Amino acid sequence: MCALCGLLGTERNWSSSMASSLPMRQQRFLRIAQANRILGFFRLTLEDFQGVSYVLSSPTGRREILSDFGQLWPVAETLAARPIDPLDPALLTWLSSIPR
Amino acid sequence: MTPTTSDLIPLIVLTGFLGSGKTTLLRKLLTSDLGGETAVLINELGEIGIDHLLVGEIAPDTVLLKSGCVCCSIRGDLKDAVVQLFSRRQKEEIPRFRRIILETTGLADPAPIFATVLADPMLRHHFSLGVIIAVVDSFNASLHEQLHPEWMAQVASADRLILTKTDLVPEQDHKTLRKHLRKINPTAVIMANVEVKEGDPLLLSAGLHEDSPEIEAERWVRNFTHPIRLEDDHADVHKGHADSEHPNVNSFYLVFDHQIDWTAFGLWLSMLLNRHGRSILRVKGILNLSGSAYPVAIHGVQHLVHPPVHLPAWPDADRRSKIVFIVRGLERESIERSLKVFCKHLT
Repeated sequence: MCALCGLLGTERNWSSSMASSLPMRQQRFLRIAQANRILGFFRLTLEDFQGVSYVLSSPTGRREILSDFGQLWPVAETLAARPIDPLDPALLTWLSSIPR
Repeated sequence: MTPTTSDLIPLIVLTGFLGSGKTTLLRKLLTSDLGGETAVLINELGEIGIDHLLVGEIAPDTVLLKSGCVCCSIRGDLKDAVVQLFSRRQKEEIPRFRRIILETTGLADPAPIFATVLADPMLRHHFSLGVIIAVVDSFNASLHEQLHPEWMAQVASADRLILTKTDLVPEQDHKTLRKHLRKINPTAVIMANVEVKEGDPLLLSAGLHEDSPEIEAERWVRNFTHPIRLEDDHADVHKGHADSEHPNVNSFYLVFDHQIDWTAFGLWLSMLLNRHGRSILRVKGILNLSGSAYPVAIHGVQHLVHPPVHLPAWPDADRRSKIVFIVRGLERESIERSLKVFCKHLT
């Protein structure tokens, strides 16, 4: 458990297991913010749920609860009904155009 | 509590085609003193031909060798076999082994073994993945390559490539095969079976979970940063290349001068593997992360990524991030451009 923010270290995904000087809750919100920059291209939104799960929403109101970040991309592809490819030139153009 | 590296028992994978010489290599590793701390999981005890090394049966499907090694056959699935072996070790029914060698069947792809260890909560807390050793039959390599797609998966995922039956092929063919394997997998250590010592620590290695993981990490990028020029080899391995016999299999490495944001990198790689995991035979890298004075090593096979390992030191004076990819049908330029955009625009 993170002594600063009270979050249990329950995530099993490899990308979550990096030691950091930031409190876990802050790392979590940072990751959600970055994921939303990508998901915006597909009109999807990711939110924190009680510090233990995530909620992924589509513009039509479909929502899915994710227990782990490892589930994000397969579920996002289902909600977006299209492949989510980091090599897609249109996605890269979109990311490059977002004001930093 | 998170187990430390020294608490974890390395699971070394020994793969290679039927008749390629896995058992000969295994015997060489087991007959030494160092091998006495090893448990071996094999598919069928009778196949291994170790009768002359046997002391006797110490438990059902489990035999003790003269060197102190334990050999156990896998009856059900891999997870059950490993758990049972570990349980017997804890109860002191069998010697307290320090590593497991898993000998796979000939046509096995190492990726599912990787998945078994990473996905299971019990295994994850007691075992780490050691090196993947692929035995390559020099005499039949070309035939295996043409007939079985698993051959490429085994060679690409290996950390150590051991060439057997080298005495049956002319010297020139042996050199050509080495060159060919180096092109497919520039990150692996390539040795002939005759070069392997009894209980060779290079093979009985926990890889990134050794006391000095930076040595293993340095091996990954050595052949790109310090190209080995084999005799008669005029190919420029430094820049990466497409292999002529496998126009779709390509190995290359990317170098980044700037520090990398771990969150952005994690999002990018998880997206890439979700969409293109089948095409990414191997990824290995040493990253210079923002906010960290020491490097982090990452490695993955197909869809699966091993938890990143903090290295206690840089392998050399070069502080740049380096990532090696062995891919099928993907272009270096598109991967490089994508990662650069993600690192620049997500942070």
